[in-house]
Amino acid sequence: MPEPTSTKKISFRKIIRRESGFLVLTVLLGLFPFVMNLITGSGLNDGITKYWQGQLIAFFIMAVLAMSYDLLIGYAGILSFGHAAFFGGGAYTMALLLTHWGPTFASRYRITIPGGTDITTLIIFIASLLASAVVALLIGALFSATSARLKGAYFAMLTLALAEAIHILAKATDFVQWTGADEGLHGVPIPAWLNPTQFRLRFYFIALAFLVISYFVIRRFTNSPTGRVIVATRENEDRMRMIGYNPATYRTITFLTASLFAGLAGAMYSLWNMSATPSMTSAVTTVNMLIMVILGGMGTLIGPIIGAGLMQTLSQFLYNFFGARWPLVFGLIFIFIVLFFPYGIVGTWRLKQPDLKAGWERFRRLLGSKPPEQQ
Amino acid sequence: MNAFTTNQSPQPLLSVENIQTFIGQFHILEGVSLTVPANSITVMLGRNGAGKTTTLKSILGLTPPREGRVVFDGMEIQGKRAFNIANLGIGYVPENRAIFRQLSVMENLKLAERKRGDLEQHADFIFDLFPDLKRLYKLPGNHLSGGQQQMLAVARALVPDNKLLLIDEPSEGLAPILIQQMMEAIRKLSATTTVLLVEQNFIMASQLAQRYTIIDDGKSVHSGLMQDLAQNEELVHEYLGASVRTAKSGGEQ
Amino acid sequence: MKFAWKKILPIGAAIIMVLLLIAWGWTGLGTASFVRTTLSGLTLGSLFFMVAAGLTLIFGLMDVLNFAHGAMFMLGAYMGWQFYTNPTFIFGISPLIFAFASGLMLLPLIKPALIRWEINSKLQQNLPRIAYALALLMIFFAFNQLDIMGLADTAMVAITTTTADNPLAELSAQEPLLRFWVRPALMLVSGALIAFATAKPGDKTEFAVAEKTTQKWIIVAALFVATVLLTAFREALPETVLLMNGNLRFFLAMIVAVLFGLVFGGIIEITLIRPLYQRATFIVLMTLGLSFVIREVVQVLWDPLAYQMVRPPFFAQPGKAETVLEWFRNGNSTLNIFGVTFPTYRLFIIALGLVMFIFITLLMTRTRLGMIIRAGVQDPEMVEALGINVRQVFTFVFALGIAMAALGGIGAAPFIPVQPLMGDQFQMQGFITVVLGGMGSYVGAFIGALTLGLARAFGDYFALKLSLSPAIAEASTVIIMIIVLLIRPSGLFGKKE
Repeated sequence: MPEPTSTKKISFRKIIRRESGFLVLTVLLGLFPFVMNLITGSGLNDGITKYWQGQLIAFFIMAVLAMSYDLLIGYAGILSFGHAAFFGGGAYTMALLLTHWGPTFASRYRITIPGGTDITTLIIFIASLLASAVVALLIGALFSATSARLKGAYFAMLTLALAEAIHILAKATDFVQWTGADEGLHGVPIPAWLNPTQFRLRFYFIALAFLVISYFVIRRFTNSPTGRVIVATRENEDRMRMIGYNPATYRTITFLTASLFAGLAGAMYSLWNMSATPSMTSAVTTVNMLIMVILGGMGTLIGPIIGAGLMQTLSQFLYNFFGARWPLVFGLIFIFIVLFFPYGIVGTWRLKQPDLKAGWERFRRLLGSKPPEQQ
Repeated sequence: MNAFTTNQSPQPLLSVENIQTFIGQFHILEGVSLTVPANSITVMLGRNGAGKTTTLKSILGLTPPREGRVVFDGMEIQGKRAFNIANLGIGYVPENRAIFRQLSVMENLKLAERKRGDLEQHADFIFDLFPDLKRLYKLPGNHLSGGQQQMLAVARALVPDNKLLLIDEPSEGLAPILIQQMMEAIRKLSATTTVLLVEQNFIMASQLAQRYTIIDDGKSVHSGLMQDLAQNEELVHEYLGASVRTAKSGGEQ
Repeated sequence: MKFAWKKILPIGAAIIMVLLLIAWGWTGLGTASFVRTTLSGLTLGSLFFMVAAGLTLIFGLMDVLNFAHGAMFMLGAYMGWQFYTNPTFIFGISPLIFAFASGLMLLPLIKPALIRWEINSKLQQNLPRIAYALALLMIFFAFNQLDIMGLADTAMVAITTTTADNPLAELSAQEPLLRFWVRPALMLVSGALIAFATAKPGDKTEFAVAEKTTQKWIIVAALFVATVLLTAFREALPETVLLMNGNLRFFLAMIVAVLFGLVFGGIIEITLIRPLYQRATFIVLMTLGLSFVIREVVQVLWDPLAYQMVRPPFFAQPGKAETVLEWFRNGNSTLNIFGVTFPTYRLFIIALGLVMFIFITLLMTRTRLGMIIRAGVQDPEMVEALGINVRQVFTFVFALGIAMAALGGIGAAPFIPVQPLMGDQFQMQGFITVVLGGMGSYVGAFIGALTLGLARAFGDYFALKLSLSPAIAEASTVIIMIIVLLIRPSGLFGKKE
C-alpha cells in the first residue's frame, strides 16, 4: 500500500505513533527471555527459555528475509524467483570466509585496541559480514543486469534459472574442498563471543536488533521518494516513463536493496546454524519466502514478518499433529489462502477494517454504552 | 429518463438502457442509452475517449455492464458471456484492425464460422464486396496492408448469419480511396443487416447513417435522425468540435 | 522477394552450422562417442520437449506459468506405472470417479430447465448450499473406510515379485461387491447434486440453451455404463490386465496416463485456475501450492521411495541386437548403431517425442481447434467475440498440456527412477526450453529442447574429459538461455512485443 505521507522533517513522535504496533512488538520480544525466565524458572541460557529463544532467532532472521522479498514482489511488483540466490550467497560468503580465511588471518595477525583487548575476531566478523553484503549486492547486480530487457514471464524464468545455476554451483563436486558440495559447510568456526549455543541471549538480542534495524531501514526506504516512485512504477510503468522516470533504474535499486537485506539475513542464518548448505540456495527456499509473504500479505512489510512467524509456528504445529506429511496440510491451507484470501492476513485485515470497526460499534452498543455522537 | 428516448420506432433490434460499465476501478460508462432500429445504420458519435468503444464492448459482453439493460431481438443479454451474445447473431469489427495476424486470410474467415458451410454460403457476397480478399486468400494476415486488414476484419463479421454488426471506426487510418470503398461496402451490407457504427469521420457518418447517438464523457447526450443533426451546427460543435473540423478538412482535400 | 531472403538466411545459416558441427564432431570426437553422445542428447531433448510442449501451449494461450507441470509429469509416471504393475489401484478407484463424472455431466442437461424454475430468493440462495453440503457428506461416506492405502500398497508387493512369473499371486482380496456398490452410487448422487448446485436453480441472470441434448445424454449414459461395468468387473479387470502381453499393457498404461492427464488437468483448470485469471501472480502461487500438495499425496500413497519400473518386454531381452530387424524380432534391450551399443528404450523415447511433435504440429495447423488456439494466443477477447467459448478452449488446452506431461512421465518411467521428485528436474529444464524457444511457440519448444538436450549431453561428455562434474554441464544450459535472452529478449521463436 502506498503511504500517503510526505514528511519533510522526520518527527520521532510521528514515527512512534505510526509504528506503535511494531514498537510494542519489539518491546515484548525484548522482554520475552526475562519473562520466560521468571515464569519457568529455567536459566536465561538453558532449558525451555533457551529453546524458545532459538525459535525466535530463526523467526527474526526469516522475517528480514521475507521483508526483503516483499520489497521485490510486493512493493515493486517484480515477480522474481531467485531470492534464494541472495540468501544463499550471503550465507555461503559468511561461512566460507569464516572457515577458510578467518583462521589463517587470525594465525598471522593480532589486532588489539589501545586498552589491550584483542579484537581480531571482531574484525574478521565485520569483514565477513561486509563481504556477505557485497557478494549479495553483486548477485543482485547480476540479476538486474541480465534481466534489464526482459518482461513478465521471461523475467521470472530468468531469475529462476539464475538461482538454479547458483544452486547447482553450490552442489557441484568440483568445489568440494571449499563448499563441501552436497553436504555444505558445517561447524563453521564463528567468533567465540557470538556462539549461539553458548551465548544464546546475546545472539537473541543481536538477531532482534537486526530485525528492528532492517525493518526501519526498509520502512524508511519505502516511504522515501524513491520508494514511492517504485510503487508508482508498479501501478503504471508507462506513465512513469512518460513523466521522466526510468523504470530500469528503479528496478535496479529495488533489486540491490532487496539483495542486500537477503544477503545479510543469509549471513545471520549461517552464523546461527554455524553452517551453509545447498538447500539454502534452492528454489524451495524461495517458495518458502513466497509463502511467508503471501500468508502475511504482499506489499505491507509488517505482513511478511507475521507470515514468517506464522509459518514457523504452523509448521511446528502441523508437524506435531500430522507427522512427516505435514506439508500436505500446509499446501492445502496455502491453496485455500490463495483462492479466498489473496491479500494475506494484513491485507485482508486492512480491507475489512471498516467492517471490523462497525462490528466493534455494534458490540459496544450491545454492551449498552452510548453510540458515538452523530456530527 | 432522458427526453430523446421517446421518439423511437416501436420495435428496435437493439436497445441499450442506461448502462454503467467499470473497467477495473474506473467508471467508464455512466449511463449510456441508445436504440438501433432494424435494417438501418445507426452511428455513435463523440470525442476520443468518450466511451464509444466501451459501449460496443458492453453490448457484446466483453466489458459487461454493472447496471442497466441491453435488449437484443426481444431478449435481455446483459451479463451473459460474450460468446453466447455473439452467437445470438451479433458480429463485431473491432478497431485497430484486430485480425489474427498468425492466421491466413482463409483461416481468419473460417474461424468466424458458427456452423459448417457458413463461409461457402456467404463467400460470393464477401468477395463481391472485397474482391482483394479473394486474391490474398492464402496469405498470412501479417502480410496484408492496413486497408486489406480492415477489409478482412469487416469480412470476418459477414461470414455467419448476423442480425447486427457492431463496427468500430472502419475508416481509421485508411487512404481516402479506401474510405470510399469501405463506405460502399457498409452501405451494401446494410441492405441485409442492421449496423451500429462508431465513426470519427463525420462526413462518412452523415452520408451512411440514418440515425445517430452522441456519447460524451461516458453518457449518451443526444440522439435522433441524421438529417436533423447535419443542420444543427450548434450541437455538432458542442460535442464533436475538433473532430468534426478535422474530418471536414480531411474530407475536402 | 524481400522477406523471403530474411526468412531463408537464418535457417540456412543454422543448417550449415549444424552440418559443420556434425562433421567436426564426427571426425573430432570419433564416431562412437559422437553417436553415443548425440543419441543421449536426443533422448534428453525428447523428454524436455514432452514437458516443454505443454508448458508452452498453456503459457501461450493463457499466460499461465504452470509450476505444477513437473508434478503432473511425476503423477503421469505414477499412474502409468501403477496400471502397469498394480492395476488394482486404478480399477479400485475408477468406479467412484466415473460415477461422479456421470453425475456431474448432467449439468448442461438440467441447467436450462433449472434456471427457469420459479422459486423465492431465499430458497434460491440456500438450495445450492444444501446441495453442496449433502454432496460433500456423500463423498465422505463414499470414501469412508475405503482402503485406498491398501490398494496402493499392493504396488510395493508387485514391485518386489517379478511380474513375469505369477502376477496374480499377490492380488489381495477386495471388498465384496454387495458392499462396494454403495460407494459409486453415492458418488453418482453427489455428482448430480453438485451439478444441481452449480446450475444455480432459479437464477434468472444465468443463461443456458438446451442444444445437442442427445449427444450429452449419450455421454452421461456412456459414463454410467462404464461405471456399472467397472464396478462389476473391478476384480476381474486387474487380472486381465496383468495377464496381458507386457507390450500391450505398457501401451494401455500410456493411454491411461494420457486420459488421467486430460481429466485431472481439466478439473484443475476449472476449479483452481479459472477463478484466478484476473490475478496472474496468484496463478503462479496456486500452481506452486498444487505441486506441493500433489507431491505430498503421492508420498502418502506410495511412501517417499524411488521405484524402478520394469521395462516392457519389447525393450527387455538381454543382449545386443545387431540390426533393427533383429531388435523387432527379439525385443533386445540394446541395439548396435554405428558400432555403439545403445539402449533400445531410449530410442523409443526419442520416437515418442517425435510423434508428439508431429501430433502437435498437425493439431495446430490442420484442425479448427489449432486455429482457435493460434488465434487465441494473439487475442482471446476477439476469439470470444466471434462466438467461440474461449473458456472451454482454455480448459481443453490446459488439460492437453497436462496430458502431454503425463505421457512424458510414463514414457520416462522405465528409464529413470519413479519417485516424488522425478518431475522437478524436468520442469526446470522445461522452463528453460520454453524460454529459449520463445513462450507460446511449439516449434520453438522443439528446437529449444533439442538444443538443450544436446548441450547437456555434450556438456557432460566434455565435463568428463576435463574431469569436471556433470553439474557444470547442467549450469551451462542456464548460460545458453541467458545468452539467447540477451540477444533476443523473447526467445528464438517468441513473438516480439
